[in-house]
Parts: sequence; structure tokens; C-alpha cells
Amino acid sequence: MPLAIELKSITKRFGAFVANEDVNLAVESGKIHAIIGENGAGKTTLMNVLFGLLQPDEGEIWIDGEKKSLPNPAAAIDAGIGMVHQHFKLVPSLTVAENVFLGMEIRKGGLIDHAAQIKRTAELSKQFGLQVDPTERVGLLSVGIEQRIEILKVLARGARIIILDEPTAVLTPQESRELFQTLRGFVAQGMTVIFISHHLEEVMEVSDNVSVLRLGKNVATRPTAELTKSDLVQLMVGRLVSFDRLPRTPTIGKTVLEVEDLWARDDRRLPALRGVSFGVRAGEIVGIAGVAGNGQTELAEVLSGLRSSSHGSIKLNGRTITGASAREIRAAGVGHVPGDRLVRGVDRNASISMNLLMGRQDQSPWSTHGIINRNYLLEQTQALIKRFDIRARGPESTAKSLSGGNIQKIVLAREFTGSADCLLIDQPTRGVDIGAQESIHGEIMRQRDAGKAILLISVQLDELIRLADRILVMFGGTIMGEISGDRVDEEEIGMLMAGVVPEPRSNTLGAA
Amino acid sequence: MEVLERLLNVTLVIATIRTTAPILLVALGGSFTTKAGIFNIGLEGQMLVGAFFAVIGTIATGSPWLGVLCGIAAALTLALIFALLVVSFKANEVVVGLALNILAGGLTVSLMKAIFGTRGSIFGHGLVGLPPLKLPNVKDFGWFGQMISGYTPLVYAAFILVPVLILFYNRTRLGLYIRVVGEKPEAAEALGISITRIRYVSSLLCGLLAGLAGAHLALGYTTMFTENMSSGRGFMAVAILIFSNGDPLKILLGCLLFGFSDALSLRLQTLGISSYLVLAVPYLVALIALFALSYRSRPRAIQETLASMGRALSVKSNTIKPAAATDASKP
Amino acid sequence: MSDRFDSLFGQGLAILFALGLGALVILTVDESPVRVFVTLLNGAFGSPERIAGTLLQTTPILICGIAACISFRGGLFNIGIEGQLFMGGFWATWVGFSFNLPPALHLLLAMAAAVIAGMAWIAIPAFFRARYKTNEVVSTILANYVAILFTSYLTINWFKRSGGQSETPPILQSAYLPELFSFSRLNWGLVIGLVLAVGVYLFFTRTSRGYAVSEMGANPKFAEYGGIDIKKQTFLVLIASGAVGGLAGGVEALGVHHRFMEGFAPGFGFDGVIAALLANGNPIGTIFTALFFGALRSGSLLLEVDTTASREIITVIQALIILAVSAQITIRRKASDSTAGERRWKF
Repeated sequence: MPLAIELKSITKRFGAFVANEDVNLAVESGKIHAIIGENGAGKTTLMNVLFGLLQPDEGEIWIDGEKKSLPNPAAAIDAGIGMVHQHFKLVPSLTVAENVFLGMEIRKGGLIDHAAQIKRTAELSKQFGLQVDPTERVGLLSVGIEQRIEILKVLARGARIIILDEPTAVLTPQESRELFQTLRGFVAQGMTVIFISHHLEEVMEVSDNVSVLRLGKNVATRPTAELTKSDLVQLMVGRLVSFDRLPRTPTIGKTVLEVEDLWARDDRRLPALRGVSFGVRAGEIVGIAGVAGNGQTELAEVLSGLRSSSHGSIKLNGRTITGASAREIRAAGVGHVPGDRLVRGVDRNASISMNLLMGRQDQSPWSTHGIINRNYLLEQTQALIKRFDIRARGPESTAKSLSGGNIQKIVLAREFTGSADCLLIDQPTRGVDIGAQESIHGEIMRQRDAGKAILLISVQLDELIRLADRILVMFGGTIMGEISGDRVDEEEIGMLMAGVVPEPRSNTLGAA
Repeated sequence: MEVLERLLNVTLVIATIRTTAPILLVALGGSFTTKAGIFNIGLEGQMLVGAFFAVIGTIATGSPWLGVLCGIAAALTLALIFALLVVSFKANEVVVGLALNILAGGLTVSLMKAIFGTRGSIFGHGLVGLPPLKLPNVKDFGWFGQMISGYTPLVYAAFILVPVLILFYNRTRLGLYIRVVGEKPEAAEALGISITRIRYVSSLLCGLLAGLAGAHLALGYTTMFTENMSSGRGFMAVAILIFSNGDPLKILLGCLLFGFSDALSLRLQTLGISSYLVLAVPYLVALIALFALSYRSRPRAIQETLASMGRALSVKSNTIKPAAATDASKP
Repeated sequence: MSDRFDSLFGQGLAILFALGLGALVILTVDESPVRVFVTLLNGAFGSPERIAGTLLQTTPILICGIAACISFRGGLFNIGIEGQLFMGGFWATWVGFSFNLPPALHLLLAMAAAVIAGMAWIAIPAFFRARYKTNEVVSTILANYVAILFTSYLTINWFKRSGGQSETPPILQSAYLPELFSFSRLNWGLVIGLVLAVGVYLFFTRTSRGYAVSEMGANPKFAEYGGIDIKKQTFLVLIASGAVGGLAGGVEALGVHHRFMEGFAPGFGFDGVIAALLANGNPIGTIFTALFFGALRSGSLLLEVDTTASREIITVIQALIILAVSAQITIRRKASDSTAGERRWKF
């Protein structure tokens, strides 16, 4: 079987950081090849090299048995490679057909021939089983359909090798199934598929071969059938992963946060929260599990006052805070570690001390009669840098000069040392290196032991298993089920995350 | 009644069309930068240099058409500087735009004094304006014919450009790419469309029309150059661009509104209203329109009942697919 | 520390470059650049009277510059300072000639009128910016035109003094802002400006409210997350900026002209904005840039007399400096710097 792609000794560096180190990758033609690895293992970098978005520092790229140089995406497209990115790049005000042909418009007499584009889009749609309406404006369509359009774009350019970056991250399970069917259809027509994924189940289900990247190197490439899930996990992480929970003593007190029948819309005015109800007690960590995009972000925003709800109630220590402003909610005793760290959580150009001041600049002893107490600020900053182990040159270092983990520590230092009873923590260790992760987890446990009520939202299931007392699984804006932290069944969680209800429930689920 | 009659008649329509033309031209020019995602507050300056150099060019060559070209060239120069600083050097658009406006103001007066020895206005010196176009057989159409004939060429150009631009944005590649760059630059990047190049092109196209607008002011609308001639029309165009979002049809409507208020207010002067107040009317209209339309397009808070949420869900149910409930029953 | 030196050095280079370009422009109008620059220097600093004259021109530019600094710090662009200055100047004058009060009280009342007029003039654009995110650049600029026309209207049609000149009656002595020296109209407005500069600087760097506003300007999403009421603070920042703009008008009316006329204090508002831009929004820096522009203005008066160049040449030079500096600032900045929360120019 000829090799569709052969990457030989690819090395890519960013300054001192080696993203890909001497990677050899062989992708068989006509197969589905999965690439898995942890955050920062180098998967996306490697695919960007293959797609011509990045130039390797060393190594060769061979496509269909020919050595090729890919200085830009156009060259990759010419070579028959198409890439469907994780974040779609569609123009909302244009129609499906216009988006598909963007960059390669069909023209007649100097003007764009919309009719021809619509016709061709419909043809491709039929040929590959990707249902779309070519005349619809993209801005109104769901994420699943948007992905189809991205795939059509790639197909319209004659791609024979298709790369997909985390394709199921934004899809419902039904949509994922449809996608896999589509992918199988591709290989049946002789095309080659490469996809990057975190989702072990899917990788096991649909791929023929799998490569595992770890810390920039390709540690293994095998036929998927030969491996078990724990084999894969071991290869990815390099150690036997113990989904071990952190030891804990029962400290649970009264209910601090009470959410009842909460509804809210997302930025596209579509319902994001559909009747969410739960409570968080003092000294308890309640985890919110789920694939990204199922309403978790909106939940954190509503609870912290950054987004308004359209129905339902939120109570803190018995006091209703529904509809309160961010300021009022903070004052009421809620701390928020936002998922969007660099935009919401810090001012990148400000110093550490200035970042620590946010939210309490009017409180004594940070300020007196409106004037900031600089000595106090400096003292506190130094103390917090020490306590949270923030690696920086000094209190005046700007946030943007620090690593992701250290920036997060600034946020924690600020939110965990206020007078909050309740902490909303969204993706605490996203983009944070392993070492910092440990210390962040430790801090969270300390807060729990001190009696704070903690809502922990994370897409990393093992993080939740480690930390949470209870885990609520969110799917499609609702809570699908609750699992006790010490009796976690991965399969059960997986199904809940997939929107599948294990035992018979009332019909309300299907009512929408 | 007689007052009304004096105010509203065919000549008012004609006056409206005349006053609309310059602001329409510059606003259409601004649509290129707006659609490309650039906030260009330098329209005023581009118009001003367009007017000044149109006059210079006409006096130097004797031909108003060559003068128009000179005006365009001057505005293009300013547009190029704008693009260079904002697109390539990534300087702040407002700062650069304002600075260019100030530059235009200072430069035109300095040159005026240096070349003509006066400030205030330039007229005479062999300055020839653009010839008004008389459409054939106009008499056969009565007052309608009166209304559409006799304008200088750039007036016709202004109105014709509206459908031309609509076609441009919808049916040409460049127009499409400009929209993409403004609406979703990541998409442009991913497709190998050079955002830089597109933004340069839109800046230059903007300069082209702004220069044309200025040339029209100095050679068509009047036949002279006055210090600070554009008198805020460039800013009014920016206001129009903000609430039209660069859409040519909406721009036309906005400009007609201002042209009308401008023409009407000039008539009010004949009723004895102070010229200061009259001159303020177009700016006030622009402000009111700006505020009114911001108010109208405000995001509305939603107080939902479950029922309305349910309705919203059922309408959208074909776009968001939750897991098929049928699977739940399978073991 | 060296970071700041770096940027000042770069800015200095940019200014030199702009001056070079300015020299070219001067050549095209058939004058000698050297002669122009020497005349400017002479006109600005050539004698005690001239120095006082320079400081006289500096005062309104400084105060307007502070007004601009206030708005920039909050991430907003109040370009309507010119209009606020006109309104402030007019109403201060009106109080000045309409009432008869003991000196200190009269002056205070007139100044208060100036400040209130400035605030009132920016109130509607400020409201719409705060509440509906209406672009304040356009609304304040358009308001400038209205202010200038409106004050002219009031002056000519309502309050014209008898005797044919296009101006209001003179204000009473009791409303005068006292002079500093006998040989010049230089007045206490300069002191007011300096005090304001220091005060505003301290406000933004040392107070908690100043911190809140600074963060709002730097990263509004972060500020919102931290509980800062963006709408309210946006409104207050613009109102404060308008108040200081009005104050500048008051100083000009009560300290320099002692009456209001058409063409009252033209261009100081814009010069203030440019001075603030050049100083990067720093009130202390604005003292120096305002002095620079004041010197240019003052020197240019001599220019009209002694050379064939017109005084608008300095406008050209000012614009060139701004353009050069705006490019320089970003040469040093990495392209990857802007994030979603920091880019604030929306239509």
C-alpha cells in the first residue's frame, strides 16, 4: 500500500522550545489515521507543518511517494491536502455556496457566477453525503452544519488527503456519528483521512491506525485494533495514569449556592442553558463535566454576573442574586476564575500587583479613602507570589511576561484570598504545564478544606475525578446526571456526556 | 401655505440632489474602508486636499478634467499614507486619521498663501468648473426632465456609483474579499487572501472617491476653493457609515437625508432664520440620526417565560440536534 | 526604566524625522527651513514678553490636553474638546457680564459656569456612548461644529455689544482671572493647568477610582469581570473630560480675552488632543508637549511677520509629528499583542 504521507525527521522549534522533534510519520493511503496526544504534545504543530502553515526546521515531507516542499497552504492544497480546522473560518453574512468557493470563485465575464457555485455545491453535497442548503446564510446555521461546509470547502479544492483537527470537539454525539460515516465514505472512495483527537473512544471506534505524540516526539504508530484504551493512555502520558482522587475529609456544610431552573442564551441568541438546577455546599467541590460547548461557559458567566439569565433563580447563602451585577455578586462573596484567562482574568500589560488589586481596590486595607495603599499592595503581592509560587522577576513584572501557569496562579492568588464563600472555577489548568497543575490542584483542595463552596468546571475528566466530591454532567445545556466522586464509572460518565440517559427518564428530554 | 410652497418644490429636489452628491461620493468611498474593517476618520482631509488640488490642477492645466485627476491624486496620496501607517505599521486608526485631517487643513492653507498670496478663497485665476450636462430631449419631460438634467457630471457619477458598488460587493471577487477581510479576517488569512493587500486597496479606493468628492465640491458644486471647504462633510459621512455599516443602499438613504436637510435649511435662511442656526442643521441631523439609530439597534434584554423559551426551541430545533431520544432505550 | 527611555528615545527620533519632513514642506513654499525654525524659536523664547506669550498659548493647550488625557485613560476619544471649550468660554463670559458680584464670588461662579457648560455639552454624546456604545469620536466632532455655530449665533444675535464688533460686552472686572505679571496677559490659568496636570496624574496612578478607570481603558473585559460598572464609569470619564474642556474655555474667557467673540480661542481643543497623544496620555508629559505646541504657536506669530510662510506651517509640522510618532510606537510593538479584550474600535 503506497503511503499517502510520509513525514521524515520533522523538527520544528519556536525559539528554545522544540514543538516537534525528529518526527517520523507514515500515513497509509485509503485509511483513517488518528493522531493523539496531550496538550502541547505537538499534534497541531505537526499538522500545520503538513498543511504548509509552518515551515519545518529540519526534515522532509513526502506525498504519494514524491518529495514536496510546502511553503504555504496553497502548495499543500495543490498537493491534494485539505485541512478542516478546529475553529471554523466561515463568513456569517455570506451563503454556504459563497463560503465554499471563497478564494476560488467561479466567474463568468469577470463577475462571480453564483448560480454555478450553488449548483456545484449541491453536487458535492450529494456526492459526499454532506447535507447543506447552498443558498442559506452561514450566520444562521448550527456548528454541525458549519463543519460540513468546512469539509465541502476542502473537497471543492480537490483534496484527496483530509486532515481534521479535533473535529468532534464541537459536535453532538449524533453529529459525530454522522461525521464518522462521512469519513468512512471518504476512504471508501480512496481518500485518506487524518484526524487529531483527544477522544479515545472515537479514536478506537473509527480509526484504522493511530499515532501517539508525546512531548514533541512520535512515540508509536500502530493499527488501532492492536491497542487498548489504557495502552493509548499510557503511551500518551508515559506513565500509568492513576485516576486517583486526592484524599479528603468530609467537611461538607450547608448549601451556599443554589441554582434553580436556570435558562440563558448564548451570544448567538440560541438557548445555552435549559433549566439547570443544582446546589453547592460549603466545603464541597461540585464538578461540572461535559464536552466544551454544552453550556458550561454560559453557566459560569451567568453565575458571575457577566451574562444575564432569561429564567430561573440563583441564591447565595439564601439571598437571591439573580440578575445582580458582577460587582454585586463579587461583593456577595463569589470569586471567579474565568475560563478565558487572558481576556477576562488578567490585564496582560499590567504588573502582577495591579492584577491582584482588581475587584477589591475600594476595600480597606487595599485603599483608604480612595487612595491605594502602595505599601500594603506591595507586601501582599510579595506574600502572594511566595505562597502561590508564582515564578516571576518581581511584583512589577507584567502579566504577559509570565507563562500560562503563572498567569493562572495570579488569578488564583486574587480570587482565593478574598472574602468569597463560593468559588466558580472554569478550566483551572487549561494550557498549564504539569508541574503547575499539581500546585493548582493542591490550592483548590485547600480552599475546599477551608470550607469554601466550589463549582469546578472542566473539560478534563481526570481533573474532575481527582478533585470533585460530586460530578454533574452537562450536555446540551442541561444536567444529564450526577455521579458521586468516589464511585466514578468512566463509561457511565462518557454516556452522560454524550447525552445518553442510562435509565429510563420522563419524556421531557425529547420534548425539545 | 405660501411658505410651504416656497420651501417645497421641484427646485428643492434639485437642490437636494446637488447637496447630496458630494457627501454621497465621499461616503461611498468610505464604504470600502468600512467594509474592510478599518475605521477611517480621515475622509474629511482626503476630501479637502481633493478639492484644493483639483483647483490647482485646473488652474495649471486649464482643464477641469485634469484638475479632477489632480484632486484624486492628492487624496490618493493621503490614503496611501493612511494605509501605510494603519495597515503596515499598525498605528491607531483614529490618531492617524485625525492627524491626516489636520495635515490636510494646514497644508492647503499654507500652499494657498504661498501660491496665491491670500487665504480665504481661491477663485478666478482662470478657474474653470465642470460643465453641466444637459440631457437631450429634456423639455419633453417637463418638471421631471428639469429634475434630472443639468447637473455637473460628478453628480450623475455619485448616484450611478450606488448600483455599481452594490454590484461590486456582491458580484466581484475584490468586493467579496473586502467584505471577508472586514467581517472575518481569519477566514481571509486561511484562504491565502492577503489582508494587507485588500486593506491597501480599499484605502486607495476610498481615496479615489473622496478625492472625486472634493473635486466635485470645488469644480462642480461651486467653482472655487475655500479654506476648510469640506466643513465637516467627511465626518457626517463617517456617521452615515457607522449606521449603514457600509451598505451602499443605506448610504444613499442617509446621504439623501442629509442632503435634504442641508438644502431645506438653506431655504430656511430666506425666512430670516439666522444663518448660524441654519448651518448647524445638517450637523444636528447627523447627530440625531446617529443617536436614534444606536438606540434602535440596541440589544434587547429578554424576560423569558418557559413558554417563550419553548417556542424559541421548537423554531430552532432543526439547527440544534440534541441526542436522538430513541437511542436511550437501546441497551 | 530603560523601557521608558527606549520609548522616549524612539519618540525623539520620530519627532526629528517629522521635523525633517517639515523642512521639506517649508522648502516647497519657497522658504528657508533654517530661517523658519530660527524665527519660531525667536518668536517663542526671544524675550520675557515672548516667553510669557508662549506660556499664554500653552495654558489652554495644557488644560485641553489634560481633558484629552482623562478620556484617553478611560479608553475613550473625546475629540469634542474644542466645542466644550467654546461653550465653556461663552457661558463664563455670560456670567461675567450679566451679573454684578463681589470679585472672588463672581470669578468662581463664572468658572463654575464654564465647567458646567462643558459637562452639559458632552453629556448627550457621553450618555449614548455609555449606554448604547455610540461612537464618541464622530458624535463629539460633529458637536464641535454645532458648538462653534451656536456660540456665534448667541454672540451675534443675542448678546452683541453695541458698536459694530462681533463680540459680547466685556466682562466685569470682578470676574477677571488675575494676571501673573504686569507685562503680559499670562494669568493664573497656567497655575490651574499645572495643578490639574499633577492632580490628574496622581488620581490615575494613586487612587482606587483612577485604577478602575485605567483598567477599563486598558482591558474593558477584565474590568467588567472585576465588577467595574463600565457604563457608569464611561459616562463619568467623558463628563470629567468635558468639564475640563469647559474649564479651558473659562480660563481663556476670564483670563485672556475678557469677552467672547467669533473665532474665540480657535484650535486649542485640537492642539490639546494632539499634545495628549504625543505624551501618550500622560498628564505630566502633556505639560511638556503642550509647552512645545505653545511655543510653536507663539513662534508662528512672528513667522507671519518675518517670513513668507504662513502660520499654518506649524499645523503641518504638528500633524507630521503625530504621524511619525504613531508609526514609531508600533514599530516597537509586536504584532501579536492585541487580544480580543483590548481592541476597542467598534463601529
